[in-house]
Amino acid sequence: MSRARTGALLAVAGLLVASAGPMGWAAGPAVAAERQDAGFSTTKTVTRTQLVAGVSQVLDSRDVAVSVDKTVELWGRERIHVHWAGAHPSGGRAANPFGESGMAQEYPVVLLQCRGLDDASLPAEQEMSRETCWTSTRQQRTQSATESAAVWRHDEYATEADRAQKAGVSPHPDATTCQDVPFLSTHITPFRAADGTVFPACTTETMPPEAAVGASYPPSEMAAFTDVDGSGDASFEVRTDIENESLGCNQATDCTLVVIPIMGISCLDADALCTGTGRFPPGSSNFANEGVDDAVSPLYWWAESNWRNRISVPLKFGLSPDACDVLDDRAPTAFFGSELMSQAALQWSPSYCLRKDRFKFQLNRMSDMAAFALMDNGQAPAAMVSSAHKVEGADPVAYAPTAVTGFAVSYAIDRPDNAGEYGQLRLTPRLLAKLLTQSYPASSLGAQHPGMSKNPLSLNLDPEFQQLNTGLDTISREAAATVLSLSQSSDVVETLTEYIAHDAKASAFVAGKPDQWGMVVNPSYRGTTLPVAEWPLKDTFVPASELECQKQNPAVYLSQVAAPVSYLRTIAEAVLDAWPNVQTRCDRPTPSDPFKLGRIDRQGIGSRFMLGVTSLGDAARFGLRTAALQSSASHFVGPDDASLLAAVAHAEPTAAGQPFRLEQSVLAKDRAAYPGTMIVYTAAHTSGLAKADATKVAQFMRVSSTEGQDRGPGNGQLPEGFLPLRDGGATKPLYEAARRVATAVAAQVKARATGNSGGSVASGGSVPSGGSGGSASSGGTATSGGVAAQIPATPVAASPEPVADAGPVVPARAAQDGAFEPAPVAMTVPTPADVSRTGELLLPLLLLIALAGGILTSGLRLTTGRRRSR
Amino acid sequence: MTMTRPAPVQPRMPAPRPPVTHGVATPDPEPARRLGPVGDAVTVLSMICLWLLVQTLVLGAVSENRAQNEAYTQLRGELAAATAPIGGVITPGEPVALLRFPSLGRELVVVEGTASGDLLGGPAHRRDTPLPGQQGVSLVYGRAHTYGAPFAGLTGLRPGDHVVARTGQGRAVFVVDRVRRAGDPVPQAPSNGARLTLVTAESTGPLSAISAASAVYIDATLAGTAFVAPAGRLSAVPDSERAMGNDPAALPLLVVGLGLVLLLVLVALVARQRWSATLVWLVAVPLVLAAAWSATDVAVRLLPNLL
Repeated sequence: MSRARTGALLAVAGLLVASAGPMGWAAGPAVAAERQDAGFSTTKTVTRTQLVAGVSQVLDSRDVAVSVDKTVELWGRERIHVHWAGAHPSGGRAANPFGESGMAQEYPVVLLQCRGLDDASLPAEQEMSRETCWTSTRQQRTQSATESAAVWRHDEYATEADRAQKAGVSPHPDATTCQDVPFLSTHITPFRAADGTVFPACTTETMPPEAAVGASYPPSEMAAFTDVDGSGDASFEVRTDIENESLGCNQATDCTLVVIPIMGISCLDADALCTGTGRFPPGSSNFANEGVDDAVSPLYWWAESNWRNRISVPLKFGLSPDACDVLDDRAPTAFFGSELMSQAALQWSPSYCLRKDRFKFQLNRMSDMAAFALMDNGQAPAAMVSSAHKVEGADPVAYAPTAVTGFAVSYAIDRPDNAGEYGQLRLTPRLLAKLLTQSYPASSLGAQHPGMSKNPLSLNLDPEFQQLNTGLDTISREAAATVLSLSQSSDVVETLTEYIAHDAKASAFVAGKPDQWGMVVNPSYRGTTLPVAEWPLKDTFVPASELECQKQNPAVYLSQVAAPVSYLRTIAEAVLDAWPNVQTRCDRPTPSDPFKLGRIDRQGIGSRFMLGVTSLGDAARFGLRTAALQSSASHFVGPDDASLLAAVAHAEPTAAGQPFRLEQSVLAKDRAAYPGTMIVYTAAHTSGLAKADATKVAQFMRVSSTEGQDRGPGNGQLPEGFLPLRDGGATKPLYEAARRVATAVAAQVKARATGNSGGSVASGGSVPSGGSGGSASSGGTATSGGVAAQIPATPVAASPEPVADAGPVVPARAAQDGAFEPAPVAMTVPTPADVSRTGELLLPLLLLIALAGGILTSGLRLTTGRRRSR
Repeated sequence: MTMTRPAPVQPRMPAPRPPVTHGVATPDPEPARRLGPVGDAVTVLSMICLWLLVQTLVLGAVSENRAQNEAYTQLRGELAAATAPIGGVITPGEPVALLRFPSLGRELVVVEGTASGDLLGGPAHRRDTPLPGQQGVSLVYGRAHTYGAPFAGLTGLRPGDHVVARTGQGRAVFVVDRVRRAGDPVPQAPSNGARLTLVTAESTGPLSAISAASAVYIDATLAGTAFVAPAGRLSAVPDSERAMGNDPAALPLLVVGLGLVLLLVLVALVARQRWSATLVWLVAVPLVLAAAWSATDVAVRLLPNLL
């Protein structure tokens, strides 16, 4: 979806630029503030010159147009899309463009995040400079070279001071701090942290703490590759002060994305090294990580010749996720439920907590079933779920449609030979079934699994996959044998498995039928009944191995490869970092310690292959690529507005206040409909909810279905990955249902009393199941006695008996299995009927048989006796 | 399994005759023997039914009477020694309270646990409720018709009648509120006091004396101050201990009991070949009767506990 949206945004941005006329980059901040979500676009002429006989001659001049899809209301780890055209084609392409490993390239485009704005009129602490630009290694900030190799000392535009032997920081740090060699030329670009600390950045030890080796977040700064036609694309991950405190970008501190198309150092003389134009042809790769021409490498991004060519894109950040906790001291009203909503809730919550006439909204992610149960027994005012759940309590529950979103199979897959990321992944239900049922053996260990010897080792070796997705490598990897999924119960897993179950080929495969290439399902999963809400880990095969580590840690191998996690967010970040959750790495701290198993390493860029089930919201926020799922025999559809809309058009209303029916059997008939579409509802009681809570829930339903459906990056707006509900078109029934349910929740039919402020309700909570009485441990307050023991689980009408104002309440709900929950509603219940047919009929029947038998036998005796006597 | 039951009833047949083993001791065939297989089956069936009726209605009362006496003696001793249980987890079957119905002239010892088997010895107290007199609502179940019928006629209690409970904590006088049947509103739980709800079964119609169709509740509210209820009661009881519950766990034991009956009958038949009929009858009848009695007691655990 993000890619489609990006295109649209770029078009809008382009039009705006055209209408506004040529717009200098310096005017960026003000303009961007006006256009809330239009992103950023500008064109700049970049040049490389050389001073010949005192006259600056232009060697190369290019008009570089840069556009960014989103520059405002950014969140931590969000990926923004940068597109440029007209740059110098790159050569010697590196497999991994991030951080230090991107340095061995020629003519790339350097992307950096820097604190402050590029505006000379601002005070120094708000202004961006080289010293506020983040890099994750010292190699990108400090260069040492012999005098002949120090190309920066020939920079035409540098000051005299910068061309000195020891330059960049004054006074130059002593040799012990920087382990500097006195006779080398050294240039240091120190880093100035948000709190004012200046890090010399000349050794690993003098870098900011976030740049430590093995830091929790991989490098985000990159040297991106420009194609032969001068255009290029990159997804740049922005960091807030939560991820990177030293960089310190947040809502109050604007930052800048600096785009530096490397043109080469402009030399003040004819120095051979400085005037170099590169040794790699355009479009070539640098697999061996060979040395490059320094003059055109990104290593000297800070040199004035390069720095003056920069294009600065101002970035504005959204409220931090804890803004509500900081800015609003009211107690939050916590809704529980679907993690599909987390990106929307992130943007929605400030629009509630920052207004005094609204309540403090909070969404706590939790499995749909658990959240619904919490709401049902009165411990939460509302739950967010995406399917109907069974009501155990006495009070009816209504569902207000809140968002149309869904799940995506996100992926990070690189094409071989350094050809960039693969972007057209297509998956069938059967491929998903193969991945989920652990039918790929993953490695020689898994290949020992009985019954799976003929299966391809991983997804990319499967002929079915290769037919759909051409041009990928055939290297088997453990991470390619699985799709990272959820371990806990979720409506997402339910929908995903329903999609599999409704496909004839996929369900036949799970049932045990081999595909046409002879691949069979993992015998542990053969005949698994689908759909399921919680994916079971059924395999029990522990492979035999001669390796010491495997001997010390015998484990179910395929379950370790699958290693599902609890949260969709974890999966999204794993795909973002291309860090599979496969737990098969053998490690030990020292050779004398025992081996232990752990998570394998991050995948190297250039050979990534990882899949994960994510929410559409997360996928859009992090700019993850999403797979197109099979919707008909030859048709694949990815998640975007059109395909979600096509799917929602099939949602049929059921009863009033109940969830819409959106079934895979119906979706399968529409090849334009995205199979992963899900509707998220806010479920709440329409009776028995406390007045204060009912008002809040109704307010949420109303606001979220109106202003919460305006798409945009701002507070209270709907983020990417969600289809807006509108009062018209295919989403009209959903919109109207939300309004109706909001009214019903606000009205609260038959609500008798609100939550008791005293202890009696709470103490009733520990009433024994079946309710026979206030047990002593519950603080001496008795609740409904023996009666409750036999309360049926069906709703009951209010009793004719008046309910006392004070005093304890009679819990009105008793679950079938005896789970007895505190009910905040006083309500009398009728005595249930405990009947027993056995008790009624047994003894009379016995009597009857005994009598009848006696009469019969005496009659027989009498007749036989008479016959014999005759 | 019922097919193995002929044994206990055979000895009770008038003028018992040797079974199919003709000619060894009694060569002369009697006319009564000529009823044929159908007649035999009917006889046996009606005898089994009669035995069940007699056991549950008559013999059961004897055993209940004895169990009450035993429990009374034990509870009396414990009350005197102040060791009667007042809370926590009490072993099922232990006597916990003495209930007196002045208006009915009845005194009953209440044991702990409301499974069908515990109710054979008299009224029983449900384990997840406080004891009578303690804060909260306590439930006491009693059989309506079988095994001494301790709670028969309890629906005749009128509002205002007293029920006196004596437990390890003292004497508590309850005043009957009403007799409550299905559909009647459940009264509010007492905030600080205590209620005793007696549960038994009843039926309507001509055979209501031996039929128990539905549970009936008699609520009685404590007059006076409730005792403090010690912590540690169970939080739930299995279905077998709820009203009209039965206890399928008795099935394996029943198999063993019936197997014993069958074995004794077979032994008697073999012995009949060697020894005189009088001797065999004299020895076998008490043994078979005892085995049948205990097997029937187990079988009753499969029936509703309020019957």
